[in-house]
Amino acid sequence: MAVCPQCGFSNADNATFCTHCGRSLQSPAAAPPLQATGVVVPPIGTTIPNYLVFAILTTVLCCLPTGIPAIIYASQVNTKLQLGDVAGAQAASNNAKMWCWISFGLGLVMFVGYGLVATLGVIGSLHRR
Amino acid sequence: MFRRIVAAGILVLLAGGLVLLRIYNPATSTIFPPCPIHYLTGWYCPGCGSLRAIHQLLLGNVGAAWAMNPLSMLLFPFLTYGLSREAISYLRGQPSPQFAVPGACIRALCALIVLFGIVRNLPFHPFDLLAPGGMLKF
Repeated sequence: MAVCPQCGFSNADNATFCTHCGRSLQSPAAAPPLQATGVVVPPIGTTIPNYLVFAILTTVLCCLPTGIPAIIYASQVNTKLQLGDVAGAQAASNNAKMWCWISFGLGLVMFVGYGLVATLGVIGSLHRR
Repeated sequence: MFRRIVAAGILVLLAGGLVLLRIYNPATSTIFPPCPIHYLTGWYCPGCGSLRAIHQLLLGNVGAAWAMNPLSMLLFPFLTYGLSREAISYLRGQPSPQFAVPGACIRALCALIVLFGIVRNLPFHPFDLLAPGGMLKF
C-alpha cells in the first residue's frame, strides 16, 4: 500500500500517482534534481587530480620558475570543480601535470649535468697529478 | 605487479637518499647537487637549504633544521601526508587524489612560496634570518 504524502490517501502498491489528488508517488530521489541554485555538482566519483603535492615538491626541490604554473593550475582544478566546470578542471589538471613533468625534467637535467661536471672535474684533477 | 615494482623502486631510492643524507652533510659534502637557481644566479630559492634541513632533522636537530629552511619544515608534514596518499592511490590503481583544498588557499600558498624566495635574499635584518642557516649566526 502506498500512502500519498500529500493527502494521505491509500493507493495500490504499484501506483505511480495518487488516485485522490494526483501527486507523484515515486520517491523524491527518483525525481529529477532541482537546478534552482545554479550550482552544478560534479558527478559523484569524479576525481580530477590536481597534482598539488608534486607541484609543490618540484617547485621547492627542483626548479622554481616552472613549478609556479604547476601550482597555479593545481589551484584552478579545485576552483573550477567548485564552479561545476568539469571540462575546465580536467584541462587545468592536464596542464598541472605537464608543468610538474617539465619541472621534474629540468631538475633531472640539472642533476645529471652536475653529476657529469663533477665526474669530469674528478677525472681532470687526476690527470693533473 | 608493475606498480608494486615501481613503488618498491621509488621507496629504495628514497631510503637510499635518506641514508646518504644521514651520513653526509650537504653543507660540507659535494655528493649532493647544488640548487640550480643558487648555482646560476647566486640567489636563494624558496627551497634552498631543504637538503641541509633534512640532514639536521635526521640527526635530531630540529632547531638547526628550522634555521636552514623554515618554510620547508612547515610544509614537510603536509607533503609527507600528501605523498603517502599519492602512493596509496598509485598502488591501488586509482587516479592521483584530488586534495579538497580551496583554490584560493593554494594560490595563497603559491604567493607565500614566491614571497619567501624574495624576502630571504634581502641582506638586512630581520630578513637575513630567513636565508639558509641565517638563524644560526646570531
